[in-house]
Formats: sequence, structure tokens, C-alpha cells
Amino acid sequence: MPTLELKNVSYTYEKGKTVLQNVCAELATGKLYAILGPSGSGKTTLLSLLGGLDVPTQGSVLFDGENITAQGLEHHRRNHISLIFQSYNLIDYMTPIENVLLTAKLDAVPILERLGLTKDEAQRNVLKLSGGQQQRVAIARALASDSPVILADEPTGNLDTDTAKEITAVLKESAHAFGKCVAVVTHSSEVAKQADVVLEIKRGHLKERDL
Amino acid sequence: MSIFKRAFLYVTRKRWKTLLLFAILIIMATFVLTGLSIWKASEAAQLDLRQSLGGKFDIFPDWDNSPYIVKEIVKDEIADEETGKTSSSYIMYSTVQFTPENIAAIKGVPGVKYCSARQDNLLPFDGLSLFPGTISTDAKYQGYTKALGVCSTEDDELFTTGTLKLTEGQHISADDIHAAIISQDLAERNELKIGDYLTAHSYRVEDQGFTGQEIKVQIIGLFTPNAVEQFGETVTTYDKIQNRVFVDLQTSKEFDGGEINYGFSALHVTIDDPQDMARVVSEIKTLPGIDWKAFTAEADNETYESAAAPLATLNELIVTLLLVIIVVSAIILALILTLWTKTRIHEIGVFLSVGIRKSAIIGQYLIEVLLIAVLAFGLSYFTSNAIAGQIGNHLLEQSMQTEPEDDNDVVSAAAGIDAGEINLIQKPLPTENGIPVSVGLDNLAQLYLIGIAIIIVAVSTSSITVMRMKPREILSKMS
Repeated sequence: MPTLELKNVSYTYEKGKTVLQNVCAELATGKLYAILGPSGSGKTTLLSLLGGLDVPTQGSVLFDGENITAQGLEHHRRNHISLIFQSYNLIDYMTPIENVLLTAKLDAVPILERLGLTKDEAQRNVLKLSGGQQQRVAIARALASDSPVILADEPTGNLDTDTAKEITAVLKESAHAFGKCVAVVTHSSEVAKQADVVLEIKRGHLKERDL
Repeated sequence: MSIFKRAFLYVTRKRWKTLLLFAILIIMATFVLTGLSIWKASEAAQLDLRQSLGGKFDIFPDWDNSPYIVKEIVKDEIADEETGKTSSSYIMYSTVQFTPENIAAIKGVPGVKYCSARQDNLLPFDGLSLFPGTISTDAKYQGYTKALGVCSTEDDELFTTGTLKLTEGQHISADDIHAAIISQDLAERNELKIGDYLTAHSYRVEDQGFTGQEIKVQIIGLFTPNAVEQFGETVTTYDKIQNRVFVDLQTSKEFDGGEINYGFSALHVTIDDPQDMARVVSEIKTLPGIDWKAFTAEADNETYESAAAPLATLNELIVTLLLVIIVVSAIILALILTLWTKTRIHEIGVFLSVGIRKSAIIGQYLIEVLLIAVLAFGLSYFTSNAIAGQIGNHLLEQSMQTEPEDDNDVVSAAAGIDAGEINLIQKPLPTENGIPVSVGLDNLAQLYLIGIAIIIVAVSTSSITVMRMKPREILSKMS
């Protein structure tokens, strides 16, 4: 059974623009998905619908076969989903370890160490870390929350090539080694190359692209 | 991570914001606490003033409207030889008077402190040597003194105000017959002591003098006056306080010798709280056994009202100030928190994206402000204590300046009321030296309640805009 499923999902903005039309897709655990598409094609909207940040105007989003609205979107976000953003979105008055502990269900320290942060770095002011380190903290937060699904919106958008590669590798490892369902919205062909499945949005429709 | 941990981290890590909020809250709390303490002090001063002054009213015959007023001519018209005009003497009295039972019923009304009533007789006592007055009197009245017939000396205004003090023996009560209380000075002058007798005679109309039946009264108590007339003050022998003789009502009636004065024509009622004046008077008017066609009541609340006016003004001023302070504080706090909430939209987005409820986010903001407020409110205890007294008395002075000129004097005046020829002892009013303002723990508790209410209103108001947005809207604003 797929972990996340989109069933005939359509989304129209309040101004009347339709970005998604009858989208159907199935996302399973243990795989890294790349979602591609031109700007304004609805990639982030799709991610928001999967993450329970918004609701489709038509159709439904299922988690383990159940509509995510059944137990509430907050429940879905808290228990099923971890979100990673381009701008890291860490809490600036918390240290890296405190950011991870915000939603942690697992021990934060080994996860941070595994992602390359030293104990000293984990106790620093989060804003004093490099972009790559901050994104690692965001990924550590996602992993420590022990959610089965990780949704990332342009996670490498603000990073240099080498760091972007490292982060992509971490996401891939999260899918393969930790058994997560990882969906990454990206413009990067490098990220797409690392994905197990590439999904592309064109004119409101989602299609799987051959690797 | 718990909501408390998040709030604690914010407060300790965002030090400038914390300090700024702390400063705002301490100023706000100092104003509120100062206002509360002045309000309490003003209320206490009013209560003190009411208790000090008490309320008084007189009940006396309604000379104009009473159907029981009798006017009797006691001397026929006498023609003046020089002017050729004629004149006649008459007495006027009410046939309805207060009985000891009426007085007991009035004393039973809640709020009545004392009920004082007297019958006056000017008469001579056999062989009693009196203290001479400072002015001469008609030869006819030499050797005369005032015998005051009372139900109870304990309730008499001269004793209740402390002008006279019973120093030996006992008070005259309603059950006593042929009992007297005299001054210790008069007793010493005449080598009298408790248990000795004074002798007088009842009035005989035929002789126009006290030549009737012999009446012996036993001295059961001695009093000392707390104040006598000043040097140079004019006073007749019979008006001298040391020459007064208090007797029971029955004896007084016997001295009078007639049937006219069977009770008391007037009463002087003292009540605990002048604010209760209207209620007490109306309750007394409903008592059975008193024919109100014969009497009229006249309240003497002027002293209290004049003295209480600055305090009442202060009270109104403080309540208004408090309300303004509370509303302004809530508005300022809400505005500042609204601005800060807008700068925290990124954080709100993160919290929502990880599944933290909006209510938990508002709760965190509330706890943050409360954590700072607990300290600020506690410290305001000391700042308020330092300024409350000065501000309170400054406001009191302002209140007094807003009163009419005549009333200003009343505050520094005394609670004395002239009781015939003798001035009652004077007590200083509670507001004479300002009002003592101190911040109490009860004020602090009130501050916490008011402060928490202000904070809840301010935090809720400041969070409305952001909290009404969808998580995705917030996240899109973040980027």
C-alpha cells in the first residue's frame, strides 16, 4: 500500500487560476521522489497538499489509505510529515539541538552527529552555522521527528554545488537507510538524477518521467 | 519540547525584547499598583472618617405642624407703664414625648450607636456649694444648678464623646430611681462620696419655685471633665460643667413637679456610619409606638459630607485613573505584541509546519509575557511603595483644592458639635495629616489579577491577525 496517495486532486487559487487538475499519484516509503516543473506550475502547492498545509479544491490526499482530513491536518503534520524548506526555517532563539528537540521522538544527538554536526556545533547559535549546516539541522529535525514522510521544498536552492550534493545524499540516505518516503520539489537536475522516481508537473497534470 | 520550555528559551535568549517588555510591564504595574493602593487608602480613610465622625441627627417636636403642641399662658397680660404696650408669658410644649421604651426601641435599630435624651431642670440643692461662674446671674438663680434627667448617662453625648468621664461608681441606667452622678470636684468641694445623698425639692407652681416635696437622690457615680471653660470664657454658675448633676428620668420628673414633662421632648441619635443616615432615619420612622405627627427629624451630616468630599473626589479620580491606566496599558501592550507577532511570522510558520497547534503557539506567547510579568509585578511592589504615598497625598491636595473654599477648612477642623453651652471634646480628623498609603499584599494580588487579564486581552488581540491565516499563507509570507 502506498504511504501517500493523491486521488483526483485539483487545486484552484481564489483568483481562479487552476494549477493542478485531477492529479493522481502514489508515493511509497523507502524511495526518493523528485518533483520537477517550471516556476508557477504548482510544485509547492502539491507539496502543501501532501503536507496538510492546505486542502485540495477537489479530490483527496490519503495517508495509509485514510483521508488526511479525517484526523485533522494538524495531526497529519505532527505525526506523518516532516517539512524541509529552502530557507531552512530554523527557530533563531534555539540552538541546533533545541531545534531538533522541538518535535523529536528519537534521540537528537546521534542524528546530528550522523549528519556531520559536532557536539559543539549542536550547542551554538543556530544562525552562526553555515547554510549547509543549517539545512542539515532541518533534516535532522525531520529525521528525529520519526515521521514516515519527508517533504522538501527546494532544499538545495540556497546551497553551493558541493553542499547541495551532500544534502541530496543525506535525503537519499533518509529514504534508503531510514526507510522514509522523501519527496523533493526541485529545479535541480542533479537532485533529479539521484531520485528513484521523477514526477513532472505540466499544465496541471503530474506525470512520471523516465529516469 | 514543552510549551513552557519554548517560552523560557524565548524569554532568556531574546534579552532585549525581554528587557523592553519588562520595563513596559513594570511601569504599567507601578501605575496600577499605586492606583490600587491609593484607592484602598482612600477607602480606608473614608471608613475611618465615617467612624470618627459618626452620623448624628436630632428628633424634636414639629412646632409648626404637630397637632399635639399646646400653648399655655402662664402670666396675664402686663401693661408696660412707660411704653403702654402689653405682654404675656406662655409656655409651649408637646403633649407627645419620647418614653424610655421609645428610646430602647430606637437603640435597637441596626446602625444606631447612642440615643441621648435629656430633661433640664434649673434648681437648687440643699446645702450644695457650687463652683462660681465667671459672670453674675440673676439673684433668683444663685445657688441653682442644672439637673439633667437622663435614661442612661452611658448614652449621653457628654459621656459618649469623652467630654466627661465616669471615674468612680456607676452610670445611671433606665432602671435607676433617685440616683445621681456629680463631678468629682463638686464632691470634694462638698465632702461628698458615693452613697451620700443630695436633697432638693419639687417645683410648686403656686410658689413659682422649688419649694415642694423633698426629694433625696443618692450619688452613685462621679465624673471628671476632660475640658473646662477656657480662661476668660464667660460661664454662669449653673452652666459650669463641674456643677452639673445627672439624675434619672423619674427623679427629673419629680423635680419638675407637673404632669407635662413625662418623657423627653427631643432626642439626639448617634449612628455608626453617616452613610447609613437615610436608612436609619427611615427605619426609626417605622418603629411602632412613636407618633410621627408630633416629631420631625433633622440630620446633621454636614460635617461628614464636608470632610468626606475631598476623599470622595479623590476616590473618583483614582477609579477614573485606574480605568484609564488599565485600558491604556492593554492598548499599548497589544500594539507592541502585535508588532512583535508580525516579526515572529517565520517562527509561527515553522511551528505550524511541525504540527504545533495555534492555541499552543498563543499559549507560548502568553507564558512568555507572564514569565516577565511575574517578575515585573513583583518588583513593582517596591517601586509603588516608594511613590504611592507621595502621589496619594498630592492627589488628595488636588482633590481638596477642587472643593469649595469653605470646605477646605473642614478637613482641618474638628469633629466637635456644640452641645448647648458646653463644647464637646474635639478629635482630629483622619485626613488632617494626609492619608497613609502603603502597598499591601492584597493590592499585589489584585495587580496580578488585573495584570493577567490585561496580558490575556493584549496577547489574544495581538495574535488574532496571524492566527486567522492558513498555515500555507503564513509559509508563503515566510518565503
